[in-house]
Amino acid sequence: MAFAASRELDYDGVARLPAAPGRAVLAWRDLAGGWQRRWMWGALAVHDIKLRYRGSLLGPFWLTISTAIMVVAMGVIYPYLFHMNAGRYVPYLAVGLIVWQTLSGIANEGCNTFLGEESVIQQVPVPFSIHAYRCVCRNFLVLGHNLVIVPFGMLVLRLPVDWQIVMFVPGLVLLAINGVWLSILLGMVSARFRDVPPIVTNFIQVVFFLTPVIWPLDALHGPLRSVIVMNPFFAAMDIVRAPLLGVAPAATSWPIMLVTTAVGCGLGFALFARFRTRIAYWV
Amino acid sequence: MSASLRLRNVSVEFPIYSGGSRSLKKLLFNTTTVGNLGRDARDRVTVLALSDLSLDIRHGERLAIIGANGAGKSTLLKVLAGIYAPTGGQMHAEGRVSALLTASVGLNPDATGRENIVTRGMYMDVHPRDMRARVEEIAAFTDLGYYIDMPVRTYSSGMMVRLCFAVATSLRPEILLMDEWLAAGDAGFLAKARQRMEEFVSATSILVLASHSLSLLREWCNRAILLERGRLIAVGAVDEVAEIYASRTG
Repeated sequence: MAFAASRELDYDGVARLPAAPGRAVLAWRDLAGGWQRRWMWGALAVHDIKLRYRGSLLGPFWLTISTAIMVVAMGVIYPYLFHMNAGRYVPYLAVGLIVWQTLSGIANEGCNTFLGEESVIQQVPVPFSIHAYRCVCRNFLVLGHNLVIVPFGMLVLRLPVDWQIVMFVPGLVLLAINGVWLSILLGMVSARFRDVPPIVTNFIQVVFFLTPVIWPLDALHGPLRSVIVMNPFFAAMDIVRAPLLGVAPAATSWPIMLVTTAVGCGLGFALFARFRTRIAYWV
Repeated sequence: MSASLRLRNVSVEFPIYSGGSRSLKKLLFNTTTVGNLGRDARDRVTVLALSDLSLDIRHGERLAIIGANGAGKSTLLKVLAGIYAPTGGQMHAEGRVSALLTASVGLNPDATGRENIVTRGMYMDVHPRDMRARVEEIAAFTDLGYYIDMPVRTYSSGMMVRLCFAVATSLRPEILLMDEWLAAGDAGFLAKARQRMEEFVSATSILVLASHSLSLLREWCNRAILLERGRLIAVGAVDEVAEIYASRTG
């Protein structure tokens, strides 16, 4: 036993370790490893919802009821404001609010993807992507509870149903993919810059009024309309809402959503690869 | 391939982002006796928690980490666990690592003890299905009685330690990293925990234990390292390293 500078201490003669894989490979392994553990984030997301409604009789169906109450309340006055008949306006509003809750839920909770899981990130090495999948899954569970309203509404209002309604499924898949990159991106930026979550909350609030959720797109004319149509939040909403209402989405919606997905995934992956290992230091 | 942990010139530097870094820097430079402060290329204040550390930990080793507060013991454990990626140098782990760093990992205060057992198991990569099969055994070991079905919020800190200890030691990792939290808990439980720990540790390939309790380290470990301000000062038998530590702290 001797004193020595740390450099000379206890080498077994192997000067170098096998080269570590590159950042992009590690980021990809993180995403793939997280996807393999679907049981983990699936169960955690279910657990999140259960805990939110612990002790309540109706449990997560309060989500459904709250949305229904809001739709009924607004359905009394708003059709007159927009000169629409209630039979057309109420389904539009209901589906719009349901989809909007998912979009805003993912954006707002996405800021907390990593910050909210600090105790886990600091103690156990699980893939970081788990937290993002969990956030998206949780919001889709809420969506699932809310969507119960749709078949009910269709029965009550005797709306015709045709096969095109199934087009909302690919729309939801695309929404989920966008949810993942968004919660990874917002989660990282929020962990590093703590001013981001309130900024996002305010931004989403503004976008809510700029996106046709409670007001119909047809109420808007002129150049502003073409700007609103280009808004990715409108596109995201339209590809799910339109098929559920039995109408075709705007011609621009799918292309805009596909471009958003490609750009978002690219940007999200690049930043994730670059800063993934920093997340544990930030939270 | 047998389990091993290898570190090459590993450094860990924490950037400090909080506002007023200049005054903070002044303050810390003047008062600190532990850790290393410096500035990085962009003139941010950084804390050098580990500096140029090279070490091999092989199969069969029971390594004690000795050092004062702020010497980098916990940081080293987190690097070995794969939680902190080194900011410099390289770390390579062979084998399944399990880290018991603090008692309260991912405990949800509103969920019951039973639910938390399953959740904690998930974070240790165990499917809820497999974990549910073990819940009874784990619950029995905790001696929590009907508290196991109460929200963890109602637990005393000793009860929480029992719960965490029972879950953490219900698995058999190849490489086990521990901070000294296990010393908590009441005397009756401690005796029980000790026996369980003995079985648990003897089943692992590598143990790394950070503690201030030299008697604990002497009992559990067959090798020790001494950290001082993030640097590796000495490696050797536990008694020798403890002696060096004592002589350096005066």
